[in-house]
Formats: sequence, structure tokens, C-alpha cells
Amino acid sequence: MGTIVWLSSELMFFAALFAMYFTIRSVDKGEGRPWPMAHLDLALATTNTIVLLLSSVTCQLGVFAVERGQVRRLGSIFNPAKWGLREWYVLSFLMGLYFICGQGYEYLDLIRNQHVTIHSSNYGSVFYLTTGFHGLHVTGGLIAFLFLLGRTFAAKKFTHEQQVSAIVVSYYWHFVDVVWIGLYTTIYLIH
Amino acid sequence: MKVEGWLFLGCAVFFGCADIVYWYFSHDPTGTTALALAVGLAFLTGFYVLFTGRRLPQRPEDNREGEIAEGTGELGFFSPHSWWPLFVGLAAAFAALGVAIGWWMFLIGVLALLFSVIGFVFEYYRGHYAH
Repeated sequence: MGTIVWLSSELMFFAALFAMYFTIRSVDKGEGRPWPMAHLDLALATTNTIVLLLSSVTCQLGVFAVERGQVRRLGSIFNPAKWGLREWYVLSFLMGLYFICGQGYEYLDLIRNQHVTIHSSNYGSVFYLTTGFHGLHVTGGLIAFLFLLGRTFAAKKFTHEQQVSAIVVSYYWHFVDVVWIGLYTTIYLIH
Repeated sequence: MKVEGWLFLGCAVFFGCADIVYWYFSHDPTGTTALALAVGLAFLTGFYVLFTGRRLPQRPEDNREGEIAEGTGELGFFSPHSWWPLFVGLAAAFAALGVAIGWWMFLIGVLALLFSVIGFVFEYYRGHYAH
């Protein structure tokens, strides 16, 4: 419950970022400046988005494993039907990591080839602030995955407390995912 | 948990209506976005409360004939005392200060934050508490 209340307040944090984006967009457009002021790699961003979306699915499959009380796999590692919490969460972690690396690559391309930085223009500022804060949240989620996995390895018994931790980490992950859908739609699709 | 859930959903409906009126009169994207996400704020909490309420057995609070004593029992695990949040807070403050003063300080702060968070997360998983 506490996590949900915190997440709803996080929603307002992103509300501020979205509001900032729309304000600066309307001001810039009103003054006749081009928007977006960068050539965004839609294919890269879309791939990233799909991976992040699928990571939510794998995370939820991990939660189903938690609800069965199953922390480790019961069969071969190549048989996902028998996977437990650890395998699903490791997979989600890797997918999140892919997302962050993809975003880093996108930033590099924007900075090196298009000279769009946080200082270069209004667009640069809002682009890096919105996607950057989201990226920081994803990174936080990745760290949470690591801590959670560490806890399952540190304790011999899979306790109720760990189940709750796993479930709230999944809430957080879904939240970050949903926020990204919003950001992706506003920044990459609508402009 | 129906009352709590509907209380929040009511707020969501209110924000939604306010949002529409606001957009109609002002055409201001900033406030409209903020209000639209305020709908999400209230809806998320309300939906979660109702959803969890359906999965949980009835609480004594929901029962008109309920007694306070019915609410006793194990509620969960609560840390009796811990020094770790203090160190986490100090490290976070140090790192945040580092953003203003210099990146070297930020990096030290992040490292300190990492160690203190590890200490915090694993406090009840090692030493005397290992299970």
C-alpha cells in the first residue's frame, strides 16, 4: 500500500516533467522554432520501448512464480515454463539493462552527431530532463532487482517479507514502464 | 476496503471533471497535463485499494459489528531500530551537494550511498539475523 501511495506521488513528479515539456513546446512552437530540434531515431526508440514493455511481462511472470512461492527453477534453464522468481527477474533485469544501454547509445548519437545537449536548446533541455529522469528511474529499478535477488540468495528460506518485496518491485517496474509509454508517445510519436 | 477505494475514485472523477473544465476555459497545456496526471494519482490508489480489498478477507474495519480486538495479530515485520537510514540520508545529501559543488564529490557520495543502501537492505539478512 505504501508503495502505491509513493508511486502515485511519483506520478505527480512526472506530471511536472510532462507539464514542463508541453509548456516549452507550446512556447517554442509559438515563436516559430522547429520542434523537435533533433532527428530522433524512431526505430531505436521503438525497439527499446518494446523490450521495456516485454520486461514488464517477464517481471509479472516472476510475480506469478512468487505467488506460487517458487523462488528457483524446477527444470532446465532452457525451459521457461519451470522458471522461478530468480530466472524471471534476472531476465527482466537484463531487458532493463538493454533499455538503458539503448538510451545511452541514443544520447551519444544525439550529442556527437547532432550536437543536441542539455544546454544547446530548449528542446535539448526538456528532452534530456524527461527521458533522463525516466532513465534514472529505470536504473533505480535495476538496482532494486539486484537487491531483491541478493536477498533471495542471502536467506535460505523464502519468506513472506521477500514475497512482498518482490511484488512491490514489480509494481515499481510496471509504473516505470507505463510512464515510458506516456513519454514515448509524447516525445517520439506526437512531437 | 470499499469506502477508501471509492473515496479515491471520487477524487479521480473530480479531477477529471476539473481537467475538462480547465482545458475548455484556458487551453493551457501545463495545468491540463498536471490535472490529467492527478486523475492518475487518485485512480491508481483507489483502484489498488479496491483490487486488494477484493483479494483480502474482510477486515474488522469493514464490519459494522467489528471489535477493535479483532484487529490483533501479526501485522508484518518492522525494524525495531536501525542506524542505516541515517547513513543513507547523509550519503544522499552528500551526493546531492556534490551536484552543486563538483562531480568528484558526487561520485564519492554515490559510492557512499551504494554502501549504505546495501547495509540498509541486508541489515536483517546477515549476522545475528541471518535466516
